[in-house]
Amino acid sequence: MTAVLRVLIVDDEDDLRETMVKRLKARKIIAEGANSGPQALKILEDKSFDVIVLDVKMPEMDGIETLRRIKDMKPEIEVIVLTGHASVEFGTKGMQLGAFDFMMKPAPLSELLDTIEQAYNKKRTMDR
Amino acid sequence: MRVFDTSHLQKHKATDDQPTYEHVYDYADSQANIARIRRHFIKLRTRLILGLVVIFLLPSTLLSFYFHFQFAHTLKKSAILNLAAVAETQKNTIDLYLQERVINLYNLLHSREFTLSPTPENMDNFLQSLKHFNDGFIDIGFINPQGIQTDYAGPYPFLRDTDYRQESWYQTLVTENRNYIISDIRPGIRGIHHFAVAIRQLIDGHTYVIRAALDPEKLSSLLKTISQGKEVESILINRQGQYQTLASGQKRFPDHSDYVPSHALTSGVEEVEHGQQTLFVAHAWLKEPQWALLAMQPMSTAQAGMQQARLTLLISLAGFSMLISAIIYYTINKLVDNARRMAEKGQQLEEMLAHAAKLASTGELASGVAHEINNPLAIIMATSGIIRDMLNPEFGLDHSPEAIRKELTTIDTAAVRIKGITRKLQDMGRSRTLSTTHCDVNALLDETLARLKKVEFKTKHIETATRYLPDLPRIPGEPNALRQVFSNILINAADAIDQKGTITISTAMQESMVSVTIADTGKGIPLENLKRIFNPFFTTKENGKGTGLGLSIAASIVKYMGGTIKVNSVQGAGSSFTILLPSKERSE
Repeated sequence: MTAVLRVLIVDDEDDLRETMVKRLKARKIIAEGANSGPQALKILEDKSFDVIVLDVKMPEMDGIETLRRIKDMKPEIEVIVLTGHASVEFGTKGMQLGAFDFMMKPAPLSELLDTIEQAYNKKRTMDR
Repeated sequence: MRVFDTSHLQKHKATDDQPTYEHVYDYADSQANIARIRRHFIKLRTRLILGLVVIFLLPSTLLSFYFHFQFAHTLKKSAILNLAAVAETQKNTIDLYLQERVINLYNLLHSREFTLSPTPENMDNFLQSLKHFNDGFIDIGFINPQGIQTDYAGPYPFLRDTDYRQESWYQTLVTENRNYIISDIRPGIRGIHHFAVAIRQLIDGHTYVIRAALDPEKLSSLLKTISQGKEVESILINRQGQYQTLASGQKRFPDHSDYVPSHALTSGVEEVEHGQQTLFVAHAWLKEPQWALLAMQPMSTAQAGMQQARLTLLISLAGFSMLISAIIYYTINKLVDNARRMAEKGQQLEEMLAHAAKLASTGELASGVAHEINNPLAIIMATSGIIRDMLNPEFGLDHSPEAIRKELTTIDTAAVRIKGITRKLQDMGRSRTLSTTHCDVNALLDETLARLKKVEFKTKHIETATRYLPDLPRIPGEPNALRQVFSNILINAADAIDQKGTITISTAMQESMVSVTIADTGKGIPLENLKRIFNPFFTTKENGKGTGLGLSIAASIVKYMGGTIKVNSVQGAGSSFTILLPSKERSE
């Protein structure tokens, strides 16, 4: 890995988001958190990321709408949709809107890291 | 798990112009619904049968009445005409008979043997030739211009030399210058009933009269002969109403008739009351003498044919009506039965649909539970993961006891959240088996409000106003369950208020239901959320702040108690929840 992987975690659950950011940082990943869709979009105006981990169920703006706007704004960023719903409905919806993959909460970190890496590899291939 | 929410079965869907969404508990179960359907169809069937019977039978009854009266009228008319014809014919026959007797006398007068001074032998011959014409002749006599009967032949020889000047028929004949006369029936000089035929003849300026007596029995039997087989009784009366023939059952002359027809009418028919029965009486006046022929027929005899026809009509009408009624009854029964079966089937399908919807709702609930539990579960897993990271020197993280303790607190908080969810799910299940007492709703509201003011309302400036109906009847229910209903709605009301606002609680009676209205001046509920607020796990609150079970639990409790919750909301102005609870135990 020459360049450093940059990941944005979007989740309104503070405890979850912060812990995930901490664990990714411990693994030498540039990780940042956003507690809502609008905040995530605001951060994206200044900074760029390789992968975004996006929660579906959030107040204000839900994950699906946030995904749509992220893809409008920066289509090159790969998005992994994370849902607490035991339903694939939101996941498939996300895939249709251009998400790289979707995962069910609670997802073990190892699985999440694998998926993040796959998404990053895809992005790098596309960038070239 | 049982799911109580039926809001997705709501028939009146909230629309743009109807921002009221009702969460109504329909406690009519399947059996009651079917019983209701049956009652409805029994009523429908009765109405249809009555309606059709009236529509079919009324006109035919009216029509048959009309025809009956028309028929009776026609029949009576024909009976009268028939009777008049009989009277006319019989009168003509009698007239002819009497005229013939007069002609017999004239023939005698003009015969070659006739002489004004006959010998007794001549007289006998004259009588014999009269009797030859008609055996009704009894005797014959010549009356000279002085009114004395000079010659006589017959069974009463003492009548010779009788002076007839005082006899009324003789006086009429002579003074009125008539050619002939027929007398009434009377005993006369001989004291035996007879009637006389007399002719007047002027010879050399002198008035001679030839008279003959006739047997009235012959007249009676003639009348009887010509009336035979006509169901008519005929008699002759004179102007005074005295019988000139023997009526059946009468033995003696002269009997008197109660009825004397007007002499002005030569013929006619009238209805005459006679004892118990009504008679049709047709009359016809004879030319000479002035007798009337009366042909009488009891009305019952005249209408006997009609009675028969009426009976036939009545029986056929009754049969026809019964046939129509039977057809109507059978057809309607069959149609209504079919319709009822369809309705019952529809009801069953609806119930199956409701059941299916409940199952779907169970799925919804399961997915809701999963989501609510998966979030804190994810926190627990991530946090235990970071502790493991901390303990791994490879990552070089802060692994001081304080740092680890902080992470453990995060795990505890998440676990408490899960516990809260499972407890509320248990509450939902428990709400089905409530122990019932009599609850004072006003007191329960006060209690709940006081408790909430201590904690939940403290962070905001919420004013509360209560408008209670003073003597609200106690309602059957479980106090803790009702507290939970009020508390859940009041917490939502407080949450809807941003910093400052008012919550108004009022109680009232609505027919037999106790109504509790909790109104807030909060932000209101968007229309798209209005129909979902009673669904389990539906919440607009931030993660971890609301479970989406509060209103669902409140609705299930109210529904269990046989009540309803209704919500009315105006965005930006506030919401008002109205709970209706039955004030009496349901009788089931």
